[in-house]
Amino acid sequence: MCPVISNGEVRPTVNGQTRPIVEFRAVTRVYGSRHALDDVHLALEPGELAFLVGPSGAGKTTLLKLINREIRPTSGEVLVAGIAAHHLKASRVAELRRRVGVVFQDYKLLPRLTAIENVAFGLQVGDLRISDEEARDRSLDALEAVGLGDRGDAFPHQLSGGQQQRVAVARAVVAQPPLLIADEPTGNLDLETAWEIMDLFEDIAAWGTAVLVATHNVEIVTRLQRRVLTLVHGRLVRDQPAGQTGRMAWLASS
Amino acid sequence: MAGIVVKGRFPRRRLVQTVATNLMRHLFQGAARSWARNAGGTAPALGSMTLLLVMSGLVGLTGFALHNLEQVEASQASLLHVYLRDSAADADIGSLQNRLTSDPRVAGVTYVTKAEALQRAQRIPGLPQLADATESNPFPASLDVQVKNIQDVAAIDASVRDDLAVDQLYPTSYDRGAYQRIQAVLLGAAVAGIAFLGLLGFVAVMVTMNSIKIAIHARRDEITIMQLVGAPRWMVRGPFVVEGAITGALAGVVAGVITFALTAAGISAASGAFSQFAPGVTVTVAGVTAAVVVLVGLGLGSGSSLISLRRHMET
Repeated sequence: MCPVISNGEVRPTVNGQTRPIVEFRAVTRVYGSRHALDDVHLALEPGELAFLVGPSGAGKTTLLKLINREIRPTSGEVLVAGIAAHHLKASRVAELRRRVGVVFQDYKLLPRLTAIENVAFGLQVGDLRISDEEARDRSLDALEAVGLGDRGDAFPHQLSGGQQQRVAVARAVVAQPPLLIADEPTGNLDLETAWEIMDLFEDIAAWGTAVLVATHNVEIVTRLQRRVLTLVHGRLVRDQPAGQTGRMAWLASS
Repeated sequence: MAGIVVKGRFPRRRLVQTVATNLMRHLFQGAARSWARNAGGTAPALGSMTLLLVMSGLVGLTGFALHNLEQVEASQASLLHVYLRDSAADADIGSLQNRLTSDPRVAGVTYVTKAEALQRAQRIPGLPQLADATESNPFPASLDVQVKNIQDVAAIDASVRDDLAVDQLYPTSYDRGAYQRIQAVLLGAAVAGIAFLGLLGFVAVMVTMNSIKIAIHARRDEITIMQLVGAPRWMVRGPFVVEGAITGALAGVVAGVITFALTAAGISAASGAFSQFAPGVTVTVAGVTAAVVVLVGLGLGSGSSLISLRRHMET
């Protein structure tokens, strides 16, 4: 095993190949008699931005929950940043989650904390060794990176939906995780703001973080020309590589 | 954003200080703030726990007094008074005393004269009037036999009843079953006390668990966020345990003060009327009991929180 450097970050490799950040091997998740995910195989590389699409109930959220070890697969293996999430003990889940940034449709910001405190909260509860000054500096950097350097002292209710989502993105990436997952991050935003958030995700991916976005927004998926994973009834029915997601994409994937 | 990252050793003292500060903030300040915010919801738990702890303290003190009483009764029950005939010859008394002294089941034998028996009776409330009612001394001389094992008292009694020196009308102080009756009463009292405390404890634990459940529900967004950003389990659960401990400690302090005050007042009020308030219960014992009550409150509060967390918090 030897390391490679991607955007300043050293990543583990096997035989010169970069290891996938996320790997699903024959993953099935069953709720009662319903297959939420059925025999899913996929791999996500560092720095890759991929979209997860499909109708409601297709299994997108289940897949994201499996990555974040909110649930376990019924069968199969889930590897996240080198950690076997499928048989990770509850007491060690925090280790995995410190390697995964998460963004939600409803932002999930703490209303009694300011923007900068929300970002710092994400940083300090994950690592007690980070001092207040360091947390504040790094949070401010993250807020500046998402274009909110001047709104650090604002409370969530004083920010627009798009600004709140930017704060949520800043919180998700402030600890520099190798993976960012987002569940319908533009669901509550107008199209213009949604594009701003997508621009952020592209920037984040360009710096080496793998980004997986579950979305219903067809226009964004089509225009960004990134990798698209399509789920239907829990099955991964299509895996379109980047650059092959236009109207004629079915020619390549069928 | 690009630049050179220089990694250096972080001063250990600074690191410890930072970790301690963050721990204080996340565990204790957060818990105290949350406790103050949910004070209304915590009030029933605080009340029921205080009641439980006051009752526990008082029942504990009563149990201690009854235990001491039982010890006194046991030592008295193993002391057999062998009453002597007024006309008994010294030789017969001496012979009986020698026989008892040489008995391996007997720890010691003391001869009590009629005059000493009278003096002893005059120290017992109510008996001086009886002693003064007659010109002659109505109390017999006796041999006070300290039996090693309380189970042998009946056998010793049987061996002396027909002795020439022994009074035939009231031969001994032995009362078959008296000690067993006292033990049965004490056992009944102990079982009733424990059952009562168990019931109160169950109620207090359930109410505290419920208040923690409400606190978990009220802070579910914060918990979710903490879990999702990778906060370790102890950091997510810790503030709730501290919150429960605060409730328990407060209830313990209030209950401890009440227990101490009631006991001290009882000792003070009884000192004029009786020789003793309750066997063995002193101000020091009351103080120790109050301290134990505080510690039990602390344990009960944090324990109830832990149970509630196991039941109501998802990972």
